Amino acid sequence: MDMDMEMPDPDELEWMESHGLLPEEEEDAYFDDEGFVPPPGDSDQPRDSPQPQEPAAPRANEASDGSLKRPPPPPPSEQEDEGERSKRRNVGRGDEEDEDWLRYSPPPAPEVVIVEKTISRYASEIHGDSVPVTAPNGDRVYAKLAFEGLVGQGISGARQWTHFSIPNRSHTGLLSESFHSLTRRAEQEALAKALQESTDSIDHEACSATPIVTEKLWVEKYAPNSFTELLSDEHTNREVLLWLKQWDSCVFGSHIRATGDEVLSALRRHSSTIQKNGSNRNFFSKSKGVPVVSLDDTPLNAPSSNPEGLGGSFSKMSSVDNTPEQKVLLLCGPPGLGKTTLAHVAARHCGYHVVEINASDDRSASSIETKILDVVQMNSIMSDSKPKCLVIDEIDGALGDGKGAVEVILKMINAEKSNNSDRSTNAEETQVRKASKKSHKIAKLLRPVICICNDLYAPALRQLRQVAKVHVFVQPTISRVVNRLKYICKTEGFKTSSIALSALAEYTECDIRSCLNTLQFLNKKKVALNVVSEQFSYPYDATINRYVVLFLMIHVTEQTAFDSQVIGQKDKSKSILDVWKQILQKKKLKRAAKSESHFNEDKDIDSLFTLISNRGDYDVTMDGIHENFLRLSYHDPMLQKTVKCLDILGVSDSLTQYVYRTQQMSLHAYQTPIAITISRMVAQVEKPKIEWPKALQRSRALLLEKKDMLKTWRNQMSPFVSRHLSVESFVEDIASPFLHILSPLSLRPVALNLLSQREKDELAQIVDTMVSYSVTYRNKKFVPQEKANISVVQHEVSSLSLYPPINDVVNFKGYQSEHIGLSLAMKQVLVHEVEKQKIIKDSAGKLLNQTNDRDIKSEALSAIRKKTVADSIGPKLHSSKDSSKHNSCTLEVQSNSASSVNDKDSRPAKKPSVRAVNFFERFRKEKPVDAKTRSDVGQQGATILRDSRPLIFKFNEGFTNAVKRPVRVRDLLLN
Amino acid sequence: MLWVDKYRPKTLDKVTVHDQVAQNLRKLVSEQDCPHLLFYGASGSGKKTLILALIKQMFGAGAEKVKLENKTWKIDTGTRTLEIELAMLSSSHHVEMNPSDAGFQDRYVVQEVIKEMAKNRPIDAKGKRAFKVLVLNEVDKLSREAQHSLRRTMEKYSSSCRLILCCNSSSKVTEAVRSRCLNVRVNAPSEDQIVQVLEFIGKKENLHLPPGFAARIAAQSNRNLRRAILFFETCKVQQYPFTSNQVVPPLDWEQYVSEIATDILTEQSPKRLYAVRQKFYELLVNCIPPESILKKLLAELLRKLDADLKHEICHWAAHYEHKMRLGSKAIFHLEAFVAKFMSVYKEFLVATFG
Repeated sequence: MDMDMEMPDPDELEWMESHGLLPEEEEDAYFDDEGFVPPPGDSDQPRDSPQPQEPAAPRANEASDGSLKRPPPPPPSEQEDEGERSKRRNVGRGDEEDEDWLRYSPPPAPEVVIVEKTISRYASEIHGDSVPVTAPNGDRVYAKLAFEGLVGQGISGARQWTHFSIPNRSHTGLLSESFHSLTRRAEQEALAKALQESTDSIDHEACSATPIVTEKLWVEKYAPNSFTELLSDEHTNREVLLWLKQWDSCVFGSHIRATGDEVLSALRRHSSTIQKNGSNRNFFSKSKGVPVVSLDDTPLNAPSSNPEGLGGSFSKMSSVDNTPEQKVLLLCGPPGLGKTTLAHVAARHCGYHVVEINASDDRSASSIETKILDVVQMNSIMSDSKPKCLVIDEIDGALGDGKGAVEVILKMINAEKSNNSDRSTNAEETQVRKASKKSHKIAKLLRPVICICNDLYAPALRQLRQVAKVHVFVQPTISRVVNRLKYICKTEGFKTSSIALSALAEYTECDIRSCLNTLQFLNKKKVALNVVSEQFSYPYDATINRYVVLFLMIHVTEQTAFDSQVIGQKDKSKSILDVWKQILQKKKLKRAAKSESHFNEDKDIDSLFTLISNRGDYDVTMDGIHENFLRLSYHDPMLQKTVKCLDILGVSDSLTQYVYRTQQMSLHAYQTPIAITISRMVAQVEKPKIEWPKALQRSRALLLEKKDMLKTWRNQMSPFVSRHLSVESFVEDIASPFLHILSPLSLRPVALNLLSQREKDELAQIVDTMVSYSVTYRNKKFVPQEKANISVVQHEVSSLSLYPPINDVVNFKGYQSEHIGLSLAMKQVLVHEVEKQKIIKDSAGKLLNQTNDRDIKSEALSAIRKKTVADSIGPKLHSSKDSSKHNSCTLEVQSNSASSVNDKDSRPAKKPSVRAVNFFERFRKEKPVDAKTRSDVGQQGATILRDSRPLIFKFNEGFTNAVKRPVRVRDLLLN
Repeated sequence: MLWVDKYRPKTLDKVTVHDQVAQNLRKLVSEQDCPHLLFYGASGSGKKTLILALIKQMFGAGAEKVKLENKTWKIDTGTRTLEIELAMLSSSHHVEMNPSDAGFQDRYVVQEVIKEMAKNRPIDAKGKRAFKVLVLNEVDKLSREAQHSLRRTMEKYSSSCRLILCCNSSSKVTEAVRSRCLNVRVNAPSEDQIVQVLEFIGKKENLHLPPGFAARIAAQSNRNLRRAILFFETCKVQQYPFTSNQVVPPLDWEQYVSEIATDILTEQSPKRLYAVRQKFYELLVNCIPPESILKKLLAELLRKLDADLKHEICHWAAHYEHKMRLGSKAIFHLEAFVAKFMSVYKEFLVATFG
């Protein structure tokens, strides 16, 4: 309504301005000038610059009066006619009677002009000649010309006009100032009054409009048009309005802020009546309308005409710029409560033009960005344009696309924040802003944006939720809904009872839309709504009521027979948490209801049944019950209930398994009784603390992860070992002893050459085991839980732990295993040895049998990589490196002998290697001082001696000093 | 190399524990042909060892050169193409694989992969062995459908291929498959046999075994040879000159289960049950099969139980294990057993002590 009311103003203005030369129009021009409070920036504009306005004026003139083919400067003789036309145009607005006498009648007699015949949307409905009139918003109506028909009314109108126009004309010449002030005062009064009445009459108008359009849905027909009609929660409404009003200073300019603040505080206080607020606001929005137009119009129409004023106005806007903290309003709530309606009504109420983007529109990020920019930055060329307010409906709807919208909004908000920090002088600021408007994509959010969603916690909205002002809609009270429904039924002449209506409202959970649709449907079928149900024999109990199937006795007028029809329950599934809550929480029985407790129980079961089967997700439902039921407080001294519950859960499990195997989905129906049985046994009265069945899901995920780890590991082992090993047998039988074996107590972390022969054997044995099981120690990043690496006792930053993490397998919560980890130094030695062993084995493997080339390659690769790791591990290692070098020969030989047990082919290699050991030992005893050079020599000697396997030594040599094997740069870079 | 692997007999002649079975197998193979075989028996009894020794007996040393492959099989099921990755060990004479690794797609593995391999006759068929051998592990974990598909494959390609199936329990292999195989039961070794093996290893490793020490390890190994040898090696690593009263370190998970048993026996309430549930989760997460948990738990409980209750508890354990196999959420059934035990035990306590 607001919108329509304001629409003609600028239009008229323009029209009148175009005829500005006429003396009797001065009053109107003056009204234009003063009646509205213009922003300081362009208060001088209409006065000083008739020139810039001229081009606009004829255009408007042509547009509206084109069909009349009158010469632009109208002769005085046609003044009457003209006046009448202008009047008719006003009348033509339909709801503009008030405006009409606002302008032409300081006198008190407010005459309601009959609209129906003189003006219509269709030319065919008008007898005689008609004139098409186009409103700036595109509405086109045809107005009847007064000369031909409708003499009485035309004459009366004309009379009215002449009556006032003559004094006008006479007054202009004589007392200009006093008259102006007088009329202004009178007009302001009239305006306020008119606005007030217009808001009042909305209701009336809406009703009077109904008979004309019968095809409309009731939902649309009775949609609230004004703020006061809103059904939604009063508090929410006010909050939304308050938020919108906070934009005023930004959108409309600073000068309104004073009054705006008043309104804001009034809103805050919630003390003033809505009526008063409404009229107030209307007045403001009205008065705001024009300045904004001129303000925004000037840069568009005459960008170069008044740079100073322009800059001033802009700077005013930007300097004032105290938009609300949260730029975006997020309304959420179940469907049908009137979120969209509220957004529209409130925005219109505050003087915005609502632009809606909903799910049906293209919502990709790019398209929505341009749309938002349009809304935020542009104004329509039409002179009457109001600032726009963007309403994004169903923002949670489409995940992929909805996200685009959210992202754009977030981007704009963020841009604003960063912009705020670097603010320069006003002039520059305008420059920058103007530039940024054209070139930069990220623009500030200067207009209110209202987002509407059903599910606040939709993943797409996660970020928006943090920056937006969130309002959750609550259900309106049933009485409110019923009152409205009653009213509508009355106006539609539909017979019903309030009990039935309240049942309906209850049933749909106050979804007004579905209520109205149902009612209209029944009305169409000429059926009366009655509730037939046992529920009224009991004290009215809201909780029961919902589950009572609503029977509508349908009285079909043609037949006298009675028919019954069930209105389908709103098919709404509750969240799984609610389902669990319902299952595990008993309803408190009232004392009065105790007598019928049996009946109540039946109902409870019924309701549970529908609830669970509606949800359908039996697997998760059962998991949740299992997770939570043990923590309930139920009386069960002998645990019989517990046993029964678990038994029955077991049945459900077998049932699920059976269903999956045989694909007989219909058997799922029997899951529901299982849940109900449990509910009957363990449900408690107090509110249970429901937890998501994390443990079960987590255990599943972890199990898979561990299995995967073990499988990969098994594939890495040498096939001679892995073929005998299954994952289960490893965990069951091997893991614990294996860990013990890997960490012998007797091994001392000393330099290798200090070890006794037996210890060396042991070391070789461990290394061999580790290699064949492809286990090694790895640098592990610091793990917060100490238990994660029990084998690592050291609290050093660089702790080594087993890789793959076998020790995790025996780590149970609250259980201290007896495994003792090796010392860090020992581990380092082991890492070193294992790497060496691997390399040796690889080369041997290449020589011997070409088994799994790929594996070896990757192993060798990782070996080289790890070698460098091992080298860099610590100074300690470096110190012991020399010694290990001495020993390397020995060790390798030992391993060779060890591996020869299963490798018959390598048996011939054994003898020479033993000899080599002997030789080497002898050699070292001779020259222990300059061991390093000697060892090389010794190795070379050994190479010569061991003619059958020359390559091993070559390799060994490469390991100690220089790598003499083809290494790709890529491999080195991997480190 | 662990002793388990090191002292694994490589040929049928060297098999000590199941020497009777080994003799029969050798006789079987020495004939021209050999039927499909199904080895079954408890874990750690030596099935796999026997199979490998048998294969070596059949093909000689050539069968020892194996390579590990991770092959991706593309299977066209008509509506879509499945990709199944499967690790297999293969020599020129035989292939070892674990079809149940493919999970619920094992049917396709059997239908396509195995069929594909069974179809191909070995190229060097000039010798006496005109067939190749497919070793399928963990057949009992195959789904019913897969086993049904296996049945047809066994018959159709019997001319070029022999299947050796290996599983823990023959009861989960369908009748049809079992009847097409020569079933070889591999008993869990008796404690005496285990002692023999341990002493043999001790001799080889030049270890001095105090009397009764091997017997103690054997007793703790639950007639699982693999476990026994590992225990033995652990003892050796931890403290070499063996003392007669040396403690054999227990298996961690078994230790944990016995802790659970103590928990259950000390208090019987839903709250305690909840605590027990968390512990069960810990075990399950670490890949301990729920059947083993139940078995061990029962053993632990029976030790501390009054004789009157033993029979009933055993009955319930069997009942819940059966249900566990029917369902898929093991935790439900484990818990149900514990709850049942708690209920029975508490009733008994109240009845006896008032």
